[in-house]
Parts: sequence; structure tokens; C-alpha cells
Amino acid sequence: MIELQRIGVQFTGRDILKEVTVTFMPGEIIGLVAPNGTGKSTLMNVIMNYINPSSGKVILNQELQYTTKKNEVKIRQLVSMMPDQSDLYNQISGKEHLKIYSSMWHSNPKLIDQTIKELGMESYIHKNTGTYSLGMRQRLCFAMQIVSDTQVMLMDEVMNGLDPTHVELISQILVKKKSEGKTVIVASHLLENLEKYADRIFFMKNGELIHVNDISPGFEEREITTLRIKELTDHLKEKISNEFPETNVKSLRNGSTLIDVRGYDSKKLGNVVEFLKVNEITEFSFGKVTLNDLYSMYYQEG
Amino acid sequence: MWAYFKLEFFQFMRNKKNIAIYVILLFFSCYFAIKIAPTYNPIEKVEVNEIEARYETREEFLNNVVINDGTHHLTRYAAAIFPEWNEYDKQRLDAINQNNLKEYAEATYKWYAYSDNMIFYRGGGVLYYNPGYYTFGNNYATMDGHFGYLYNASRYEGYTEVNSDLTINIFEERTALQTLQRLLNSYLPLILIVSCILFTVDIVLKDRRNPTLLQGLPLSDWRKLMVKGFVSLLGSVLAIIPLSVGLLIIGVQNGFGDFGLPVPIYIADDIFSNRMMWEYLIQNMLLIIFWFSLIISLVLLASVTLKNEFANLFVASVLVLAELMYFNRGIGAIKDFHWYPTSYVQVGQITSGYRNYLYASEALTFGSGLAIIGLCTCMFLFFTFLLSNRRKFKLL
Repeated sequence: MIELQRIGVQFTGRDILKEVTVTFMPGEIIGLVAPNGTGKSTLMNVIMNYINPSSGKVILNQELQYTTKKNEVKIRQLVSMMPDQSDLYNQISGKEHLKIYSSMWHSNPKLIDQTIKELGMESYIHKNTGTYSLGMRQRLCFAMQIVSDTQVMLMDEVMNGLDPTHVELISQILVKKKSEGKTVIVASHLLENLEKYADRIFFMKNGELIHVNDISPGFEEREITTLRIKELTDHLKEKISNEFPETNVKSLRNGSTLIDVRGYDSKKLGNVVEFLKVNEITEFSFGKVTLNDLYSMYYQEG
Repeated sequence: MWAYFKLEFFQFMRNKKNIAIYVILLFFSCYFAIKIAPTYNPIEKVEVNEIEARYETREEFLNNVVINDGTHHLTRYAAAIFPEWNEYDKQRLDAINQNNLKEYAEATYKWYAYSDNMIFYRGGGVLYYNPGYYTFGNNYATMDGHFGYLYNASRYEGYTEVNSDLTINIFEERTALQTLQRLLNSYLPLILIVSCILFTVDIVLKDRRNPTLLQGLPLSDWRKLMVKGFVSLLGSVLAIIPLSVGLLIIGVQNGFGDFGLPVPIYIADDIFSNRMMWEYLIQNMLLIIFWFSLIISLVLLASVTLKNEFANLFVASVLVLAELMYFNRGIGAIKDFHWYPTSYVQVGQITSGYRNYLYASEALTFGSGLAIIGLCTCMFLFFTFLLSNRRKFKLL
């Protein structure tokens, strides 16, 4: 378990993190979502103690804090952060990188071959990383963190440069790590993908960490809450508002319109469908608010 | 820690700058062995013609000189000192003609001791050392000659006591081990120390190129620094390998010499004592390793404080070159420069005692060098330890 208590970070007088307090539990995948430059990486750097926060503390397993260098080493044995692909040593092979990380964390050496196999890296793992493509490098960085086998894993933009097959593959491994009791904190812009496996998702804005449930209550529940219409004219929007005055209608910048149908019974939902049919609207769907929708609403609507 | 050592050592050996240093050392070493070493022209050579000419001239003088009341005092003086001098030259000539090098060594040792006594103490400004000492601009030629003659007297005395197979190359100090000994007395320690500086300047700061890969490793900054320091020390010691290639070439050309050969060590007050070659080389190696440690500890401290490779280079260079700012011949008699670690940078000259002779001091010894350099190293490491253990300290 890792706790952040009232973490504050300021750069040149600007609050990057403001009184962030949150606890991440074992066996949990945490998603961090925010536009670039809003403090995701800073938060991870604070967790790793790469950046000293101006206030607050990080507590691991209810006892370890970054109060001494000795404690820092103890925490680093339990918490790791995925390296950046641009930092790999180009002159040595991927396998050497994995061996280095495995031996540094004294993890089970069998994990090396197992991870290589799981990520389909057999064909190139013995080549120097200087010859790797972006996706190959990204997979290697992910594999390095997997072989370090720490209790808490931080991954910043883990899916960068990966094709859909590998995004899926890595997602599966993350779920497996979760089932092993690891705490995995992932910052990602692949919202649909993140939504699939993350147990809790947080947005970051103005230095604050906001749980998506607080923005959209019931976001993580499985019920029909939203009617999504792909394209809707202003005239029809007005018509809907008149027809269903108690309904909240929201237009997103991507052109979609969301109509809040939370609490509607089958009859009422039928009336809505009937209305759409009469007005010749054919491209619509019922479901819940997606992370993409929330992101659009939260960041793009100001 | 072992894993981190392997990582650092691997990077050290793959570092292009370090490879370039090893290659340059190898090139210099081969160039020296092939081009420079064969042209070595010692002042004190085994030159039969010269001995013979001197002997015959003096012998003729002694045979023809008439000493009476009107004889000039210098003629009397020459007639008094030449017989013994010529006796030694005669022994030397006979020994060399019979190829009896042990006897040659015995006679030569006596010749140098007698010559120095005559020239330095009783010469009265009319007797001179070998002309090789009197070079343009050398204001200390007589002192150099005095040192050279005593050195050679001690050396040849040593040859009479060892069981080694003596050769002319040994007498002229041309064998591989003696060349190494000569080089240790000149630029070799500086070359090794400068190599160590170049190996170390970026050993900490290179990690800025791979921060996310290395920052989170479960190892304290102090331990990382110690491993880096050790790798640099090991890499600096390994610089001996390319240099030894040159010695192998010299060995093939002129013989390798013998670890039992005597190396004269200046003690004080014109007293020399011989040390075995292996002993001398080990002392040099030890003092050079201490110098490496001093340089490395200073560069580590500079790396965590100044965080700039050029600043590291500057600080380390100042340490190596600082002696130039205060060194003057005989200055040790006036000021206690033996407390400065920088006074010990000419490692071979410290262990051979020549530096004491130049400083007119008795304090610049191998032991005091180890103590002062060791103490400074400990101080630099202690400051680095304190800094790296500050809670907010970041290595990168």
C-alpha cells in the first residue's frame, strides 16, 4: 500500500501538485489521466523521490518514508518506475538490460525468459537496442519493469508507440500483475484501453487529483446512464430539451451530444427512442459515459 | 552491489572516450619502444674508448711529469690524485676486455665514488663531471653531476652484490625494467594520473544521459559513488596493460632486466641505499594507486557539488599541476612543502629520493606520501559521504 499525504509541489511559484492526498492499495490498477504538463509525471517523480515535494509525504506500507537515504533504498526495492525508452543503452542488447534490472532487484531470473516470451520479444532481444523501433524499445522498458518485480509499479505513458496487439498484450500483463497483488499506477492517453483494466481512474487538474467518480457519480457502475448521439443540430437539441425538460443535454467538442438518461425506466427510454425515430436520427447508442466523454467534458469544456 | 559494479564496469569499458585513451596509450607505448627508446643516450655509458683515452692521457702525464719546487700546485695536485683514479680506469679496462662484468662493476663503483669525491669536494672548480651534465641553461649541472656520480656509484656497487647476469644493457639502464624505472622518474606517473583524470571526469555525470534507467535503482547514492570510484580505479590500473606492450618490445630488443637489480635510493646527505627493482616498482605502483584514489575521490566530490565535467577536469588538473606554482630547487630547506599532497606528484622521484635532493629536504618520502595522499583521499571521501547522505541530495 502506498499513501500520499498532502503532497504539494511548486515550480517557479506555480502549484503543480496541490495538497494531493490519496492511498493506492495492493492488487489495484490506478489510471492517471490528464493533458500533458498537468503534473502526472511530477506525481510519479514525487512517489519515486526524484523530486522533493515542498510539502507532504509518501508512506509505503504504513511505515516507510523518504526520511533517510537508507529508507530511500528500502522503498526503491519495493517501488519502481518504468524507464523511458530514450534512456536505453544503445550499445547493449535488450536481454542485457533485462539481466541488469533483474540482478539489481534480485528478482527471479526465470522472469526474464518468461517476460520475453509473453511480450513476443524473442526475435530481437539479443540485438543491440540501438537497432530497435520505438515500439520494441517501449516493450523492452515495460519488460524491464516487469522483471524488477516490485510491489508498486509506476508506468508513465506505457502504451506509447505500441500497436493495438501489443497494447492488448501489455494490458493483459497488467491485469496479471494486479492479480499477483501488485499496485500498478499507469499514466496513459489511451483512455478506452485504460478504462478496460483500471480499477480507479484519476484526472489531474490545477494540481489536484480528482477521482472520476466525483466528476461523474456512478461512472464505474454498470447501468445505462447516457444516450450518445453522433451528430445533432442545434434545432434538434432545443427540441429535445423542450420534449424532455428534466434531461441534461451536453455537447462535446468532438461533435457528439450526450443526453443524461440516468434513472429512466424502460418506458421513458422508449419515448426517447420514439422521439429520435420521428426526427430521423439513426446514429445513437445507449450506455454509460465513457472516459473519453468525461475527458472531453472535463478538459475541453474548460 | 555486484550487479551495479558489472553495469558500471561494462559502461566504462564500452565508453568511446575510455577506449580512445587506451588506444592512445598503446600507440605512445609502441612509439616510445620502437622510436624513442633505441635513441636513448645515457650520460654514463660504458665507453671503452673514452676510458682508454682518459687513462692513456693521464698515464702519459704521470710518466712524464717532473715534480720539483717550481711545479704549479695544480700539476702537483693532478700528480697526487691521478694514480688512484687511473688504477680504477685500468681495472675497468681490463675487466671489460676480459668480459668480466662483475669486476667491471666493482671497479666502476670505486671509480664513481672516487671521482665524485675528487670533483665535488676537492675539485676546487678545476675538475668537472661528465660534460653531459653541463647543458645549456642548466644552472645546477654540478649538483646534477654530483647526484649522478653518487647514484652510479651506488648502482654499480649494487651490481657487485646481486646474482643477476650482468650485461652492458643493464649497465646503461636500457633493459625493459630499467626503462620502466627511468620512465617512473620522468613522465610516466603524470601520464597515468592524467589518464585517471580523463577516465573519471564523466563517471558520475554520464548517467545524466540515462536518468530514468538509473535513478530508481535500489542502491544508495554513496554506494553508487563508491562503485563508480572503484571502477575508475580499476580502469586506471588497467592502463598499465597497453603501456606494458611497449615494455615487451623493449624487452625483446634489450632484454627484460631482472627484478633483483639494484635501484639506488637517495636517503639524505649524499647517502644512497640500494633497493631491489621489485621493491621499487611495488612502491611506485602503490603510490600511483594512492594518487589515483586521491584524484578519483576529488573528482567524485566535484561531480556531486559542481556537476560539470569541465569543472571536474579543471579541479583535478589544478591538483596535478599545482606543484609547478611553488617548486624551486632547494625550496624544501625554507618551506615545509612536504605537507602538500601536490609535492608527491612525481611518484618515481619521490620513491627514488631524487625529489628530496631537488627540494633539499628529507621529508618527501614514500611513507609520508602515502600518509598525506591517503589522508586527503579520506577527507574528500568523507565530504562526499556527508553530501550524498543528505536527505534531499540527488545524484542526477
